[in-house]
Amino acid sequence: MGSLMAQIVAVVAMNIRSLPQRIWMSIATLVAVGIVVAVLLAFLALSNGFEKTLNTSGSDKIAVMLRAGSQGEMSSVLLRDQLNIMELAPGISRDANGPVVSAELYVIVDGTKRSTNTPVNLPLRGLELSGVELRENFSIVEGRMFEPGRNELVVGEAVQTEFSGFELNKKVRLGQSEWTVVGVFSAGGSVFGSELWGDLKTVQSQFNRGSSAQLLRAKLATPGDVSEIQAYIENEPQLNLDVKTEVAYYAEQSKGITNVIFYLGWPLAIAMALGALAGALNTMYNSVAQRSMEIATLRAIGFSGVSAFIGTLVESLALAAIGGVLGSLAAYLFFDGLTTSTLSGNFTQVVFDFKLSADSFISGLKLALIVGFIGGFFPALRAARLPVVIAFKNAT
Amino acid sequence: MSDFYLIRKNLTRNKLRLSLNSFAIFIAFLLFGVLASLQAAFDAGVELSSEQRMIVTNKINFTQPMPLAYVNKVRAVEGVASVTHANWFGAYYQDPQKPLVGFAVDAESYLEVYEEFVLAPEQREAWFNNRIGIVVGDQMARTLGWKVGDRLPVSSSIFTQKDGSSVWEMEVMGIFTGNDEQFDTNYFLLHYKYFIETQSFGGDWIGWITIKTTDPALNDEVSKTIDAQFANSPAETKTTSEKQFSKAFVEQFGNIGLMITSIVGAAFFTILFIVGNSMALSVRERTNEIAVLKTIGFQAPRIFKMVLSESILLALLGGCLGLFVANVLVNGAAQAPQLRSMLPNLVLTDMVAFKALGLMLVLGLVTGILPAWRAMKLNTIDALNRR
Repeated sequence: MGSLMAQIVAVVAMNIRSLPQRIWMSIATLVAVGIVVAVLLAFLALSNGFEKTLNTSGSDKIAVMLRAGSQGEMSSVLLRDQLNIMELAPGISRDANGPVVSAELYVIVDGTKRSTNTPVNLPLRGLELSGVELRENFSIVEGRMFEPGRNELVVGEAVQTEFSGFELNKKVRLGQSEWTVVGVFSAGGSVFGSELWGDLKTVQSQFNRGSSAQLLRAKLATPGDVSEIQAYIENEPQLNLDVKTEVAYYAEQSKGITNVIFYLGWPLAIAMALGALAGALNTMYNSVAQRSMEIATLRAIGFSGVSAFIGTLVESLALAAIGGVLGSLAAYLFFDGLTTSTLSGNFTQVVFDFKLSADSFISGLKLALIVGFIGGFFPALRAARLPVVIAFKNAT
Repeated sequence: MSDFYLIRKNLTRNKLRLSLNSFAIFIAFLLFGVLASLQAAFDAGVELSSEQRMIVTNKINFTQPMPLAYVNKVRAVEGVASVTHANWFGAYYQDPQKPLVGFAVDAESYLEVYEEFVLAPEQREAWFNNRIGIVVGDQMARTLGWKVGDRLPVSSSIFTQKDGSSVWEMEVMGIFTGNDEQFDTNYFLLHYKYFIETQSFGGDWIGWITIKTTDPALNDEVSKTIDAQFANSPAETKTTSEKQFSKAFVEQFGNIGLMITSIVGAAFFTILFIVGNSMALSVRERTNEIAVLKTIGFQAPRIFKMVLSESILLALLGGCLGLFVANVLVNGAAQAPQLRSMLPNLVLTDMVAFKALGLMLVLGLVTGILPAWRAMKLNTIDALNRR
């Protein structure tokens, strides 16, 4: 057994040291595997980053109420009398000022994407200062908060970096009146960072929405528990609403796009991995053919077929692993932290970062090693079974 | 013995290498075919938009309404040939999770502005004369199984009727197609009057206006005149060409073009590397034979051509196969209802196929040129001496 180990070590070392003789074919495999891993990681980082942004937006202490069947805030309408009834619901936390709720209006305005200089949909949220307090991560980083009753806006950090048209102190004409951007806020990497916020009543009147809203946020008496509110809605014939926790709401919002990215990314990566596999097989069969003389010699002096098999397999795995690591490194250097934005389920831009997770790296390396393993296995079989006499003949 | 016979024999002598290389090329062109079709589907709205059409929207954003009175004011602007308007209905049929594209339009003027719209004359008449009538795009009708004469309850996820219900009764009066295979037929049209008179928001408001100019050269002038006319009014306007409008909308999703180009580029770079090396290797292995061929009188240019033909043949073999499977996949995917509603114009167009053929030739040339050059320059004496 010890001698077999020694044989294997010797053959592996020999294979690795002879790599420079097959330098171009080996590099081809390396590059191929590296590119496959980098493409996979780019997609995973996209979907991971998007999911993360939406997930940090939701809290399980907050309930979100929309008109029944609405896909999101955009397609929901809640009238003032519905809101009044809703605020009485049990299960909503109360403080000295009564129920802790926030009725919010959501309208779309144009901004300009800096990178392409094309118009994009940005969400303008009308809310009361009490609603701002429902966001735990909210803080003003520049300027000040809007004052109720005035045409003032505060804008998210992401809006500042990705889009133009809403710079601090800028006056923006929306409809009949001019609005002033008075502050920039940070929202802890959540979707709110891609929004513009103004006073609810002012937005309602400027956009002719009367006293209607689109969504009602409420602080829950028991975090995570919407059952009381749910039961209240069911018993109240005037209410035709859906209620869920903020976490559940944003998880639902992220599902569509994360799925698209995920289901596009994996098949693409697998197809490309198959291409890389063809390259790896090519390289390794070629390696075996080139070394057939060497393998035959080793076999003739008593080395086992197993050592030839493992030697070839390890060479392939090593190439794929190096490729995988290089691909991961490239993905990390080029993609991680890159900021981008896309149209969300609410028909407005959501800004998010490419975020590589440890899981993605592991998936990438796994894919690389699978390619390396299959790419080495069959050529290794051939190496192990190489009939010594024929190998000598062919090699001359 | 023809050259082609030799090329074929050379290509197929190492069956394993041939299959591996063709497979790698196959994958590259499969990806190209599918991704380029996806991109073309995304861009179809831009490609098919008419030079003569312009869209007038509320300056705040295209989802904000405008007064109906604007239509006549726009019609009076010099250089405007015809005008129509539309409202987004936010439709769904039975399942709110499956939104449908539906517009409330002024029927006669809409068909006047959208000339590529194909609808049988009797269906057209029938639609004009039925208040609750709708016309449905061929693709949507097939997906939902709607037929002419069907009376359906169609819901809106945004609007409610004055009686509080969000369901509108509609009757299918016609099925329309377009004069181009990429023309989007995944939507339906209902009458503006029916919509505006029954919905509870009240008022005479519209979503956007589409105009056709008498001459594309006048577009800039027309757009300036229109926007100036409504400046400082409660609803200021923004007038852009249909092309710009569609392009900006597609770009809101992100830079899809760049993404697709990078992936295809990465795949091709990989395959180029794999196949190029493999070609070089197989020619190197044949050094002796090439020397012999030269010795028996094959001219250097003829050898050059033979090696190059081999690599091009290889690229065509794998590439055409990949393109074929891509076509099957794209056609299959286009039948999936979820994809169809998102990308109604998904087909592998002739343009994509031609580009693929061009790429195959380039791939064959690039991977073959160096080995072919080496084979041509091969010094017969040295090569034979090497034995």
